[in-house]
Amino acid sequence: MNISSLSKKSKSKLQKAKDLRALESSYTDLLGKNGEINLLLKSLGKLPQEKRKNSGKALNELKSSLEAIFQSRRNHLKEKIFSEELKRDSLDVTLPGRTRESGTLHPVTSTIIEISNFFVSMGFDIRSGPEAESEYYNFEALNIPEDHPAKDMHDTFYLDNGVLLRTHTSPVQIRTMEKQDPPIRIISPGRVYRKDSDLTHTPMFHMIEGLVLEENASFSVLKGMLKDFINDFFGNQTELRFRPSYFPFTEPSAEVDIKWKKGWLEILGCGMVHPNVLEMSGINSKKYSGFAFGLGPERMAMLKYNIPDLRSFFENDLRFLKQFK
Amino acid sequence: MQFSRNWLKEFVDLNISDEELCDQLTMLGLEVDNYKNYHSKLTGKDAIIKLDLTPNRGDCYSLLGVAREIAALNNLTVKFPKIKKVNSSVKSPIKVTVCDEAPRYVGRYLTGVNLKKKTSPLIKERLKLSDIKVIDPIVDITNYVLLELGQPLHAFDANKIEGNLEVRFAKEREKITLLDENKLKLDKNCLVIADESKPVALAGIMGGFETGISSKTLSIYLESAFFKPEVIRGRARKFSLQTDASTRFERGVDFELQTLAIERASLLIHESIGGEFSPVQEFSKRSSIPKNKDIALNFKNVNKILGTEFSKPFIRRNLKSLGLVNSQSTGESIKVKVPSWRFDLKIEADLIEEIARLVGYNNLPHRPLSKKINNPVDSLHNSVRNSFKFMGYNEVITYSFIDESFAELVEPKKGQLIFVNNPISENMNIMRPSLLPGLLDTLSYNLNQGNENLKIFEIGTVFQKGKNHKINQKELIGGLISGIKDKDNWSSSNEPMDFFDLKGDLENVLSNSSKYNFKKTEIPYLHPGKTALLLKGESVIGYIGSVKPKLLDKFDIEQEVNFFEISIDATSSKSNIKFEKFSRFPFAQRDLSFIVDEDIASSVITDSIASRAGDKLKEIKLFDVYKGKGIPKGKTSLTYALGWQASNRTLKDKEIDEIIEKLVAFLSKKFNAKLRS
Repeated sequence: MNISSLSKKSKSKLQKAKDLRALESSYTDLLGKNGEINLLLKSLGKLPQEKRKNSGKALNELKSSLEAIFQSRRNHLKEKIFSEELKRDSLDVTLPGRTRESGTLHPVTSTIIEISNFFVSMGFDIRSGPEAESEYYNFEALNIPEDHPAKDMHDTFYLDNGVLLRTHTSPVQIRTMEKQDPPIRIISPGRVYRKDSDLTHTPMFHMIEGLVLEENASFSVLKGMLKDFINDFFGNQTELRFRPSYFPFTEPSAEVDIKWKKGWLEILGCGMVHPNVLEMSGINSKKYSGFAFGLGPERMAMLKYNIPDLRSFFENDLRFLKQFK
Repeated sequence: MQFSRNWLKEFVDLNISDEELCDQLTMLGLEVDNYKNYHSKLTGKDAIIKLDLTPNRGDCYSLLGVAREIAALNNLTVKFPKIKKVNSSVKSPIKVTVCDEAPRYVGRYLTGVNLKKKTSPLIKERLKLSDIKVIDPIVDITNYVLLELGQPLHAFDANKIEGNLEVRFAKEREKITLLDENKLKLDKNCLVIADESKPVALAGIMGGFETGISSKTLSIYLESAFFKPEVIRGRARKFSLQTDASTRFERGVDFELQTLAIERASLLIHESIGGEFSPVQEFSKRSSIPKNKDIALNFKNVNKILGTEFSKPFIRRNLKSLGLVNSQSTGESIKVKVPSWRFDLKIEADLIEEIARLVGYNNLPHRPLSKKINNPVDSLHNSVRNSFKFMGYNEVITYSFIDESFAELVEPKKGQLIFVNNPISENMNIMRPSLLPGLLDTLSYNLNQGNENLKIFEIGTVFQKGKNHKINQKELIGGLISGIKDKDNWSSSNEPMDFFDLKGDLENVLSNSSKYNFKKTEIPYLHPGKTALLLKGESVIGYIGSVKPKLLDKFDIEQEVNFFEISIDATSSKSNIKFEKFSRFPFAQRDLSFIVDEDIASSVITDSIASRAGDKLKEIKLFDVYKGKGIPKGKTSLTYALGWQASNRTLKDKEIDEIIEKLVAFLSKKFNAKLRS
């Protein structure tokens, strides 16, 4: 018997087994209970001792080396099956994930939230109030007398019994001052209404107005705070200016312009709260001073998102809304 | 207010560029709205400047007023136009009786004028540059002086005045035809100039047609009066008659200007069309003429309000350059006299603004706001908004006013609706009683645009009549879904979104807040079998349902729409979570199917099971609802997954079997429910 030719033949048989089944069957043929090797080992008894010893050793060595080849081949074939299985199971990973498409917040809301976050971080509380308001809270308490030309700036919608739709959110400031002693820091975002409709006006829009009533609330602090706000909202490079203006409820009054493209663009109004307004709401104007400001989120959103037409905010076209993810 | 720059230069020596002039005006609070170069054949290179004035600055509706501001800023003096008295040669046949509201009336009679003459080219050009129509020499000159000095003048045809003039309030229903041929019915609040038989002018607003001048006019009575702002205010607007005169009178005209203005006009008239003049007549009620007010100013307050450290002389100097002359001073404060043209200066704060204006708002310091920490509250409902956003909803904002015909669909009782008395348009005349019409309108609009699958929500106020004619205003959140579910997803099942899609989303949002439940109900505009009230305890916080096709028709919507609307307050929640120890003993789970009458609400069965399955029941989940093959007609099969667990031991099968046996018996007796095997 030629062990070396047996070794060669059987090793190759295992190494070349095509699949697991062929491998197992070759294994049984060679190393099984009645396999070739075992049969040979059994037949060694007939040989002379010296030869028996040598052949036995060689056969056992062959047996363990075949055992090792078998294991390695089996691992290899199993691995191959796994990887083929995985390959068959592959996905087009570029398909979109199976999720509910996220919706959007209205750009006006996002703007209000962004602006509010700035002021909340400065210690402001958010307050709200009724949209159908009384003449008193919307005008009188804000030092806007009946028939005053300043009222022209607020073309007003009237409901029954002298109730009107608020033309600004300043009434919230009055209601707050009536209930709360200084120090006060509040902002009041909300819907307001003015009888105006053209390219740059809609009869309903939003405002955010703020009030600070405390010691050391000076015009310089107002300037500092609004500069911080504008730099926060529009970026640090934004140039701004404060320009004298007129509101019946503030004195001194100012408007703030920012440098936009080539010119100046008005973005908010502000001023030191008029002493009459403080007194009417039960605040001692000799002791406390304060400042107020108001701005329009629509305008801010138009600038920030480059929206050309104010009216698109209330058209609610999905192709518009979905852009504000 | 619009004017030629060359004209302004006659009032103040300007040596600055147009750009700088515009910047100065704007930064003084006289905002330049528009600036345009102009080449004048008469005065050479010129420019037109248009100001957007605030209503407090009546004094700046004139070149004199604008010049005063520029002069104050640049330390210059104002130059008045040439005023040479025109000698009188005739007597005036007219006398004027004045009143408290018109305490000074300066008049002049002139005769032998030739109105066929042409207005001088310079006056014509300047009026045109100020956007004022050229009419005849007299009207043009009165307008010219109006622009120069800010004093409105009026010329009557003296031959058409019967007897003397009187300034008085109109009688109830007295009539006048104005120069623009507008016929007005007056009331007791209207101040008029009247002759002995009729009103001849609506004081401070417009003259009368009958006494107006024409090319045939031979004699003129010229009026230069001071009317108090409060008697002019509101009147012009009432009759929709905003005129150059009323704009100035209602904001305040310098009460010491009348004689000067009539002299100036006389000179110009005399120079251009000649005529014989009476002496200038001044009729006045001295005690009613406003006095120059004194305002006290505390130096400390200036720096306190502005946040500055200005010295006393600095403050005084600035006030003085605006004509605010120091009348009295103590160490800490001064009193200044307000010039007769400044109606806007009343209190200390007004003077502080004047100082700030002259210094320049931009030159005042910036100071930081002190730090303050507060307790953030979710006042803007960000958490609810974001929940809906992440569930795929697009937030919309619709108008609070809607069409009456839409409002009636959701609120058939007209008496409950809140009307806008002066709507912007007829189809926006009702304050919405519900968010539904606005959302349906949005859906309809989008369907027309080819956007077919919508999940939208809105947070907003709705309005309804309350007790004692009060208006109830409630803030709600409403949402609507319609179209194919997850249409944008490649693995979408292409099923339409239905009631339970919306209900599930709503439940998701509400899961944070305290206990709530749904109860079947009927609402006129919703599907009678697909509508539920949402209750928190005993109180109704909202409703959900499928919108009736009849309502959808009105909006041209042909696909199913489900809608909910709940009080926004109901969604807010304070986290009140307390950890509960969980058992590590095995969980005994059984699935049970019951066959019940289909008109029994599943929640009733669920509640019964929960209350009858013992205190070890830890989980109850309705996971299948089935009708059809294998189930008798009129019945429904409800399949529950129930789980029991004890905190300290393993439960025996026998225990569970006993519980189930009792449960089945109970449900069978109470609801005729059969256990399905």
